[in-house]
Order: sequence, then structure tokens, then C-alpha cells
Amino acid sequence: MTFPVLTRRALAGLALAGALAAALPAGAETSGDSVTIGVSGPLTGPQAQYGELWKQGFDLALKKINADGGIDGQPLQYVFEDSQNDPRQSIAIAQKFISDPSIVVEVGDFSSTASMAASPLYQRGGLVQFGFTNSHPDFTKTGDYMWSSSISQSQEQQVMADYAVNRLGLKKIAVLHLNTDWGTTAKNIFIEEAKQRGAEVVATEGYLPDEKDFRATLTRIKAANPDGILLESYYSDGALVVRQIRELGIDLPIVAVGSVYSPDFLKIAGDAANGVHTVAYFTPVSPRPEVQTFIKDFTTAYSKEPNNFNAMAYDTMNILAAVMRQYGTTREDIKSGLGQISGISSVLFPKVSFDPEIRRVMGLEPTDLIVENGQFQLYQ
Amino acid sequence: MDAILALPWFDFTVSGLVLGSIYALMAVGLALIFGVANLINFAHGAVFTVGAYIGWTCAVALGLPLWASVLLVALGGAAVGALIEVIAIRPLNRQSRIAPLLATIGVGLILDQTVHMIFGANPRPLPVAMPAWRLTIGSGSVGPIDITIFVTGVIAAAVLYGFLFHTKLGMAVRATAQDDDAAKQMGVNIHAVNMAVFAIASALGAIAGLLVGIYYNAIDPNTSFQIMLKGMVAIVIGGMANVPGAIGGGLILGLIESYGIALFGASYRNLFAFSVLLVMLLVKPNGIFARGRERQAEPMTGTFVTQSKPIRLPGWLLVLAVIVAALVPFAGKPYVTQVMTNALLYALAGISLTLIAGTVGLISIGHAALLAIGAYASALLTIAGLPVAIGLVVAAAVTALVGTALAYPAFRLRGHYVAIGTLAIGEIVALVILNWTSVTNGSLGVYGIPPLEIFGIDFFSTTPAYWLVLGLVVVFALLQTRLLSSHLGRTWRAIREDTVAAETYGVSSNYYKGLAFGFAGFTAGLAGAITAHQFSYINFDTFNLLTSVLLLTIVILGGLGNVAGAILAAILVAGLPEVFRALAEYRMLFYGVALLLLIRFRPQGLLGSG
Repeated sequence: MTFPVLTRRALAGLALAGALAAALPAGAETSGDSVTIGVSGPLTGPQAQYGELWKQGFDLALKKINADGGIDGQPLQYVFEDSQNDPRQSIAIAQKFISDPSIVVEVGDFSSTASMAASPLYQRGGLVQFGFTNSHPDFTKTGDYMWSSSISQSQEQQVMADYAVNRLGLKKIAVLHLNTDWGTTAKNIFIEEAKQRGAEVVATEGYLPDEKDFRATLTRIKAANPDGILLESYYSDGALVVRQIRELGIDLPIVAVGSVYSPDFLKIAGDAANGVHTVAYFTPVSPRPEVQTFIKDFTTAYSKEPNNFNAMAYDTMNILAAVMRQYGTTREDIKSGLGQISGISSVLFPKVSFDPEIRRVMGLEPTDLIVENGQFQLYQ
Repeated sequence: MDAILALPWFDFTVSGLVLGSIYALMAVGLALIFGVANLINFAHGAVFTVGAYIGWTCAVALGLPLWASVLLVALGGAAVGALIEVIAIRPLNRQSRIAPLLATIGVGLILDQTVHMIFGANPRPLPVAMPAWRLTIGSGSVGPIDITIFVTGVIAAAVLYGFLFHTKLGMAVRATAQDDDAAKQMGVNIHAVNMAVFAIASALGAIAGLLVGIYYNAIDPNTSFQIMLKGMVAIVIGGMANVPGAIGGGLILGLIESYGIALFGASYRNLFAFSVLLVMLLVKPNGIFARGRERQAEPMTGTFVTQSKPIRLPGWLLVLAVIVAALVPFAGKPYVTQVMTNALLYALAGISLTLIAGTVGLISIGHAALLAIGAYASALLTIAGLPVAIGLVVAAAVTALVGTALAYPAFRLRGHYVAIGTLAIGEIVALVILNWTSVTNGSLGVYGIPPLEIFGIDFFSTTPAYWLVLGLVVVFALLQTRLLSSHLGRTWRAIREDTVAAETYGVSSNYYKGLAFGFAGFTAGLAGAITAHQFSYINFDTFNLLTSVLLLTIVILGGLGNVAGAILAAILVAGLPEVFRALAEYRMLFYGVALLLLIRFRPQGLLGSG
């Protein structure tokens, strides 16, 4: 029997191989040449944890896809090249993927810098670059081979402004944001959206991803006298901020962008997380069967709860597999297929389709959440 | 003015002191090691991380009580420290003076990567039950852990001070620091002393890791470098080897950051830290607690370059190498061509750094700043409408001018201080790019940089881009080799060997250092600019500290000052990891081990320093 997940990083795959060999029903065997997706992302370096999260999502999705017969009988697999999230390496990887005829579509890289450096090459080489963490507004602008299933910032910030201003009634908001392309774009759009809803942003503070101490920053925010704090943060830094907000005795409502939605956010922030508002596009409290199946399978495979990055990686494999099954497995098939596909259901999006103009995903359905007793709960 | 006065200064002071006591705890260990080994221990940050993870293993995984965890963390840290001394410091006793510093960078990489492989990259919580009371101060509060951190730092400094100045072993430590040969003759076992100092300092660093982990309830394998940099700034403020001064330095740094945030906002925090570092180095290199005005002998004066005879490659071999290199694209593997283009861009930057670090003897850990200036200059000019070819040249010229001007204050520094000063300048450039939003687009970066073309000829495609870079490497290598064999090269080397002697012979060292920086800046600026056009998108982090460290590794591997060596080393360093891609996860480990072995067994580099 052919083992479907033959990544070059066989060491890590081996453990899973045992599990798969046992789990695969004999009837769903795949055969023939495999269909290969090239993944460019960080496995080492400061962003390595995201590469790890991706692989968990990818492997889980592939296990299922290949158990269901792969792509018309051909097993689907991926090759993960470590870019360390470094543009020098992502462009070299791009050359490698483009010149390797067995690669039919590329996924990644993680950050805008590493991804967008490689975009002109993928565009010229005619290989779809599918970025699922690339919310940078310019990511898909390089050309018609750049596609993204990352929620666009303008959609996401409208959701945040609705929550903070319309639902919670905040009027004077302080914004704390990661001083990266992602965080800065988010902050800028949020300020606009909040203004349109009649609220004012009274303070904005940017911090670098490796900062750990926010006491002075928060003292400054407190001095601006806001009636609520909005966080444009990832989960690990977001958790530190929330803890320190409460330690400083600041008792204001906190609304955090959906990327804090992670079990690790709750663990690191501890009791301080209680009362934090956030939204999720992927949440276990969602009753949809796709979501429930994913969580069950993920927890069985890795004995821990999945987070947003796991879910996005999982969706990516499934979306690409659906495109390939419907429209074919050549590079051009996938490019045109992404423009046509509609209505498939994924963990994050009830109905996935892409806007062919901006080549970004449509069909966002946010769920408003609040942390209570150390758990994310539906906000009623 | 009223608005400024109305700020909650008391709260900012408390914030600054809480943060400062973390820096102080780091700084005490660094100062102790500096006092004995005349060395900034770049592995100290990694020891901090190791301590945090040993603490997690004890307190969370094994569920041991806090006192037992602290004890085991201290023992573990001490063991790591002793190991660092035995592996990375002791064997380098008689080597060039930069060797131990670079060895600690190597050890740091290895430790970080080991932690990373065992525990994974995700930050994890470190929940340790602490008493629940909190002391309300001003409008905020401090908890028991904040106070523990502060008290630990002060007690450690006091105990160490007592040990150093009031015990016999302490006297031995100080004697070793002053003159290890003399100490040896007096019967001091200097190896044992050094090892004890590394063990004590590292135990303290490891405890700091545990306490800070508890404080934030989070530990993360990627904090090492940042925390170590802050500790370094703190000891520069407090006086490099001044153990009680380190506490003061840490607290002052915390206050400066806090007040800086109060006045200008959070994104300026590190800009303040590094500017203070630079100002201190220039104005009060002995630290603000130094008595009197006399300038103590700066540590590690003299040359860093290991004396050796550079290997002269025969001309026919070089010509053959260039021909073989030019034929690379015909192998029909665009991936290989791209990797080689990257390698040659490193080579171009390496040629530039080897002039500064090798020939002139100013070890720079901020060379990426020159690349960044060139990249931004060319990107912004060409987006504004300048043709790419002209943009490249103007950007290189701008880099030469700005780079020289920035480095000018550092010309009077020597030895270790140059390394720290250039590191600070490098960080400052990145932070200015980040904060000067109106020009540089801040954290969003610059997008849509025009592709490489020179007067209508496409140089963007893989093969032409490769040839262009290869051509530039050949031209600049020849140019630099020519300069080095002229009177200019002799003058530069004379300044490196003995600045005072050179000045006595009428050589204006600043003028010649300026010339070197100008030439090196032009080359590096060009390398940065080409990279920008190749990437089409750059941001403040594209050329970061890691780039600087990698460039320095390349230059040392090739042999300091050796042009052909820099090119060869760039190809090895940028190329080899690609060959071993399958071992991707161990790549940083590979760099660390390679750096360590190289310094230990072939400090003059592959082709010899010259």
C-alpha cells in the first residue's frame, strides 16, 4: 500500500505514518503518481511555531483527503521547504518549485515580506501562490497568480468595529497594535471604521513582536482616558498585554482581534483573560458539522485543541483539493479553478468562494465571543 | 508643556523600575563575566532561556515546589555556564581577542536551538502559584514576583560585591581579571576561577529566566537575543565590569524606556535604549558610576585579527573559478542559479565588511544597516521615477555618505566597544526606518519596487540577474584587491595594528577610516539595492541583526581582510544549508557548531587573514 504523505521531512512524518497505515481503510487506496503541493514556510527561526501549526493542519487534512481517494485516485502530498520566513530563502524556494514540474500549486510563505518577495517569480513562472496567512492588502496585487484565503483586513476590521462600537457601545477607544505590516494595516482600517460608526480612537500604540513588557505603554494608554481597549495582536503577545492590563488595575472592556482565538491565549493570560471579547471565524462553539468533525479529529490526532492557524492550514489543503478534484491538477487548471469554485464548505467559511477581481476569499461569518471561566463562550 | 506635566509620571516610574529590575538581573551576570573574562557573553541570553525551560520542567512538568525548582534551575544554569567556559572560552585563551566573543554567539545559537528542538517553538505558560496579594502603588500595583525579581537582583549584586572585595577567592577573581599571567604566577588556578565565575553568573542568568517566566506567565525560546541586548545596554550604562553598577544600569535603562514611551510612544522604546548605549560609549565609556575622569584602559585594545599568512590563490585558478561561476546557469537548474545569486549578494556585502572588519580592524555587528540604507534609497528613488540603473548608483553613493557619517562617532572606539557601538548603530537604523513613517512607510514596508533593469535591458530574470551580480562581485573584488596593495591598503593595516603609532607618523586615522567606510558603504549599498529590486518588497526587518551576524561569520570564515576568502565563504555559508535542506530544522544548530569549530580550530579563516 502506498503511503500518501511522503514529505521530504520524513522524520516527522514517520510517527504519523504508523497511525495512517493503521487508519486507512484498504478500499480507499490511492495509486499512481502523487499530486504535489509546494509549501514554503518557517520550520526554524523565530516564526517556527507557525510552521509547526501548519503541518499539523496539513497532515490532518491530507489523511482525510487521501482516505477518500486523493485527487481522482492520485494521492495528494506536500513538500515543505523551510524558508525561516526569510525572503532570501523564499525566493530561492520559489525558483525550486517553479522549475519542478511535479509542483502544481504553491502555498505560503508566512509573512508578507517573505511571501511578497517571491510573488513576482511565481507570477512570471505561472505557478499559483496561495497565501493563507497573507492579509497584507498588497499581497494579491502582484498579479493574477496570487490568491489568498486569508480574511482581508478590511472585512475583519469592519467586524471588529461592529463589535466594539455597535455591540459594546464603546465611544473612546485605545488601540494597541503589533507594529508590523499586519498590525498597522489593521489599526489604520479600524480607526476609519470606528469613526464611521461614531466612535473616536483616543490613543494608538504600536509594539514590536518580541516585546514582553507593556506596563509603560499601558500607563500611557490609561492616561488617554479611553472607555475600552482594542488589541490588534497575535495570541502570545495578546495574552501578555491582557495580563498586564489587569495587573495595572485597568478595568476597561477589552476587545481583541480574532487572531487571539487560541487555547494558548487562555493559558498564558490565565484569569486575566476573563471578560475579553473577541471574534472567531473558527470556533468549537460553532454547531456546524465541519467544525465539530475537525475538532474531534484534531484532538484525537494531536491530543490538544486546534487553534486558528491549524484550522487555516487544514482548510487550505481542503480548498486546494476541492479545486483540483473539480477543475484538474495542472497549474493553469488550479488558477482558473480558484476563480470558479463556489459553495464548498470549510472550517472557517461556511461557503468558500473567491472574488476573482481581488483574488481573496469571500463569505466571512464571524461569531462574537467572550472569555468566561477561562473558556471562549458565545457572547449573548 | 502642561500636557506633559499632567502625565502620570509616578506610574511611569514604577513601570520603569519593575522593567529595570529584570534588566538588572541580567546585567549582574554579564558584568561579572565581563569583569573576569573581558568578554561580553552573548550566550547569556540563551542561558536565561535554558533556565526558563529547566524551571518549566521542574515546576510544571514534575510539579516540584518553587524552592526546589529554583535550586535545580541554579544548578542547571551553573552547569551550562561551566560548560561554556570549558568549551568556548578556555581553549581560546591565546587566540585573537574577538574569538571568545564569537564563540559565545555560536554557543548561544546551539543552546537556543537545543531548547527549540526539545520544547518546540510555541510560547508556553509557566503557571507557578504565587501569593495573591498585590501592593497598590499609584494607580497600578506590584505583586510578589515583581518584588522578588528586584530583591534577587540586589541581593545577588550585594553578595557578589562582598565576595569579590572581601574574600580571598574574590581577590583571586579580581587578580585574574587584571592580569591572568601574573595571577597564575601567584598560584591562582585561573581556570578554576574563570569556571566558577561563569557558573555563578550563569546560575544567576538561569534564575532570571525562571523568575521572568513566572512574571509574564510565559516562556518562549526566542527571547534570548533581545533580553541579552538589554542586559548589555545596562552594563554599558553601569560600567562594564561594575557589578553593583549593573543594578543601577538596569534600573536606569528601565526608566529611560518607560519615560521614552511616556513622551513619544511605545514604538520608540528600543530607539531610546540603543541611542543611550551609543551616547554612553562615546561620552562615558566607563559607565556613569565611574569615579573620576580618567579613562581606564579600554578592554581589548589592539587587533582582533589573527596573524597568519593569507593563502595566495594563483591567477589561473581565479580566472577558472569565474568562468565556472559564469557557466552555472547553463546547468539548467534555476533554483541553483537563484541560490548562487543570493550567495553572491552575500559575497558583495562580505567584501565590504571584510574591508572594515579585517583590513581596518573595526569589527562591525551592524553591517546590515548599510544594506538597508542602500535598499531603501534605491527602492524609494526608483518608485519616485528614477531609472533603476541610476537608482542603484545613487543608492550606493547615499549609503557611502550616510554610512560613513553614522559610523564616524564610532571611529574613536576600539576593541569590543566598536562591536557594541556598531550593533547599536545597526539597530538604530532599523528603528528609524520603522518609525520614520512619512518617508519609509514604517512597518508596512515598501511594496512595488521596480524589477532590475538597466537602460531597458531586463536583469530581473534568474540568469541575467545572476550574471549581473557575478559581474559586480568580480569588479568590486578586483578593485578592492588593487586598493589593498596600494599605499591605501598599507595605511589601513597600519591603523589596525597600532593607531597611535600610525598617528605619530602623520596618518590621520579618521580620514582613512572614513575612506574605508565610504568604499565599503558603496559596495554594501549596491548589494542592498539589488536585493531590494529582486525582492520587490522590503521592510525594516529585511536586513536585521541576524543578517549582520551571518555576514560577520562569512568574513571570519573566509579570513578577515581576505577578499577571495569572503567570496568563497559566502558561497559556502549561503550554499551549504541549501544542500542540506532535508536537515532544515537543524540549520541554526549547524551554523552554531560551524562557528564554534571554526574559531577553535581555524581562527584565521579558510584562506587566512591579511
